Amino acid sequence: MKPILLQGHERSLTQIKYNREGDLLFSVAKDQFANVWYSVNGERLGTYNGHSGAVWCVDVDWDTKNVLTGSADNSCRLWDCETGKQLAMLETNSAVRTCGFDFSGNIIMFSTDKQMGYQCYLNYFDLRDPQQIEDNQPYLSIPCSESKITSAVWGPLGEFVVAGHENGEINQFSAKSGEIVKKIKEHTKQINDIQTSVDLTMFITASKDCAAKMFDTTSLDHIKSFKTERPVNSAAISPNMEHVVMGGGQEAMEVTTTSTRIGKFEARFFHAAYEEEFGRVKGHFGPINCVAFHPDGKSYSSGGEDGYVRIHYFDPQYFDFELEA
Amino acid sequence: MFLLNFHFILFLAFAELLGDILREKPQEADGIDSVIVVDNVPQVGPDRLEKLKNVIHKIFSKFGKITNEFYPEADGKTKGYIFLEYSVPSHAHEAVKNADGYKLDKQHTFRVNLFTDFDKYMSISDEWEPPEKQPFKDFVIYLKPDNVCPEVHSSFDFYLSRNMTLKPIYFVSTVFFFFFRYVVTFSPLMDTKDDPQAIIIWDVLTGQKKRGFHCESSAHWPIFKWSPDGKFFARMTQDTLSIYETPSMGLLDKKSLKINGIKDFSWSPGDNVIAFWVPEDKDIPARVTLMQLPSRNEIRVRNLFNVVDCKLHWQKNGDYLCVKVDRTPKGTQGIVTNFEIFRMREKQVPVDVVEMKEGIIAFAWEPNGSRFAVLHGESPRINASFYHVKSNGKIDLIKMFDKQQANSIFWSPQGQFLVLAGLRSMNGALAFVDTSDCTMMNIAEHYMASDVEWDPTGRFVVTSVSWWSHKVDNAFWLWTFQGRLLQKNNKDRFCQLLWRPRPPSLLSQEQIKAIKKDLKRYSKIFEQKDRLSQSKASKDLVDKRRGMMDEYRTYREAAMKMYQEQRPLRLELRGGVDTDELDSNVDDWEEETIEFFINEEIIPIGDL
Repeated sequence: MKPILLQGHERSLTQIKYNREGDLLFSVAKDQFANVWYSVNGERLGTYNGHSGAVWCVDVDWDTKNVLTGSADNSCRLWDCETGKQLAMLETNSAVRTCGFDFSGNIIMFSTDKQMGYQCYLNYFDLRDPQQIEDNQPYLSIPCSESKITSAVWGPLGEFVVAGHENGEINQFSAKSGEIVKKIKEHTKQINDIQTSVDLTMFITASKDCAAKMFDTTSLDHIKSFKTERPVNSAAISPNMEHVVMGGGQEAMEVTTTSTRIGKFEARFFHAAYEEEFGRVKGHFGPINCVAFHPDGKSYSSGGEDGYVRIHYFDPQYFDFELEA
Repeated sequence: MFLLNFHFILFLAFAELLGDILREKPQEADGIDSVIVVDNVPQVGPDRLEKLKNVIHKIFSKFGKITNEFYPEADGKTKGYIFLEYSVPSHAHEAVKNADGYKLDKQHTFRVNLFTDFDKYMSISDEWEPPEKQPFKDFVIYLKPDNVCPEVHSSFDFYLSRNMTLKPIYFVSTVFFFFFRYVVTFSPLMDTKDDPQAIIIWDVLTGQKKRGFHCESSAHWPIFKWSPDGKFFARMTQDTLSIYETPSMGLLDKKSLKINGIKDFSWSPGDNVIAFWVPEDKDIPARVTLMQLPSRNEIRVRNLFNVVDCKLHWQKNGDYLCVKVDRTPKGTQGIVTNFEIFRMREKQVPVDVVEMKEGIIAFAWEPNGSRFAVLHGESPRINASFYHVKSNGKIDLIKMFDKQQANSIFWSPQGQFLVLAGLRSMNGALAFVDTSDCTMMNIAEHYMASDVEWDPTGRFVVTSVSWWSHKVDNAFWLWTFQGRLLQKNNKDRFCQLLWRPRPPSLLSQEQIKAIKKDLKRYSKIFEQKDRLSQSKASKDLVDKRRGMMDEYRTYREAAMKMYQEQRPLRLELRGGVDTDELDSNVDDWEEETIEFFINEEIIPIGDL
């Protein structure tokens, strides 16, 4: 498959996300910008300008009306997707690491880092109540004293948020009471990314302990494990095939020689039921920081440390491929 | 650098004290496994004890929670060793693994051991009973690596095992095996002036120490070189070549040979012949000498002029000796290299010279054959040349491949095939060559490969990335001799792979001939067996996969059931809009035709 190369960021990518219908791809990077592209041909639709620090996370609501970004400039901002206008800015005391709209698009959550004496907080705002935004007063703010939150996603009905922590823990925080409803610890190191399946029944975690694991969103039951020899930066579940894709990298210290030929960093495909790797896609010149499947499962994208986003449309063989069973 | 192990000495010092403690110890077996002993702890009086305890605590709590500690005292000061207990044995193991050798300060380097190790030694019975005569069984010599360094020399605990009972014998630095009769061990600090112990030769069958030798610190391993039949061994010291005979371990003819300026020597792998070379000395030119043992006849001497350096390369059977001579010809500044090829099997050992125009990177004889391969030149222009030493007195250059990415040559142990490898800094470039017609069978790459190992039959080659040279991508790959990749095996922290050596064949020559004739019949049987084992392997895999898929599908069914049940909630959350499928609300879609500019092509129509 010949990939479409998106060159819109000057520094490494931090997150990429498709909107629900898949026609748009959002990318954010350490260069302070958030971009949105047509996924069909890679043409850039626009940029959301305003952040003054690395942008760590992005989300778009189900109707593709609003866009949410969180940044190291200690703010979480709401934008109008179509016009690029900044609708709201919520200031925080430390960098915003992860953010997201709930299923209805009415409630947003974001977490802040443990920095400079400030704790890690998980904040909830209800967008239907403009007072909360004006006063910068979340209706719920949960402190995390132990290990900071490194990645988080909403549950299927907006009742809870599943958060991954620096120490490998996964907690379910209620969106009503803020209590930890359930907790598990299956990973031994930091959770770099959590992504849900398209129907939100499962999620996959990517961890620095070189494994990605699949869980049931509601019960937090551990379903599958995918093991590699490199830290996994991001993982995603295919919407239509029993596949998962993972992207990762080496410890920065250990990247010694680089080949000047085609980039050596690969996205790896595993069979979701057999937990076996069946394919790799090369192309990036640096570790892969984020991966995402198109909601129709016919393509996927990856964002790298090299500043590039690559959109890959699968060949017919990908859909016919089967492991003998 | 030799990392030494003071365990043996510690053990002697502890014997008495431990006796008392062990007799009083509680009988729980579990508790003991979590205890460690730390030696070389500073001896302090009560005024500094608190501070010492804090320092120890800080260092050792890294491995786990310390549940108990004991600082034995004598004459008002701590004795210099302490006991620490963890909550689980794994913490104790971690502490031994990581804190042993920790340098607290100039005078104190911690030695950390598991308490159970001492317990083991203490339970050797005091009464000595003569051992029963045991039927002779195969030997296993256990080498327990203590601190493995990425160099040739490592630190080992040496155990000799018979019928699987481990008996620690010595704590040594390096071990060599010869013909399964003798073992040479090297432990420089065990040497004393009167009792040479730096190098010891042991008899494997009896476990007896046969003889000890002194050793200079600047010595170059292996210090002793053995003749191919094990009858002699020799070592070189300043201006002297000392040859010893077995089994007496005494000097041959009761004296060493005085050879002024001797630089290097080596035994022929096929006969009891030593080759050595001596550099230029005023008017006397440098020379290479071949000496027959035990007669000490010089069967060949070759004078060489303007020599800078020499290296001896024997062919595997001792049929040829190649001396690589680096010379600076008179009147020039640069170094040129010649290969002096000694034909050992011909009368009076004639010598032929091959002149090399470029610097030599690697040289290797074909095992069992009369060819050799040379890598020469300078990166990036490295050339691989193949020569054939013919019986008519000529040495022909069969072929030269230029612009190779290679720094090492690996012949198949059966000859004919070889692998040119660019290891480590050359990123693992591989070239598989058939030297019978000098064709490149395949060019491949194992990125960052650090080692190449042929299997003894010459059918397979393993390339590997060792953790000692590269911290990621540790793996070993299996190839056929033609360069076809068969397997990739990733193994975290993989260090080294060695093929099991083959013992000599039990078949007679006639039997081998008969089998070769009948090979078709045998190959049919083997192919059938292969097919059976292959299908069995995949059957296991297939069964495993089926099981996993069934489990997964069951889970998904349950999840989908709950998903359907939640549908009304979803519709409510999104104001009645059905988003369960991508095409759930087609009515809501707008169709828009957009034109994208793709390409511009200018086609000249030609003259109208």
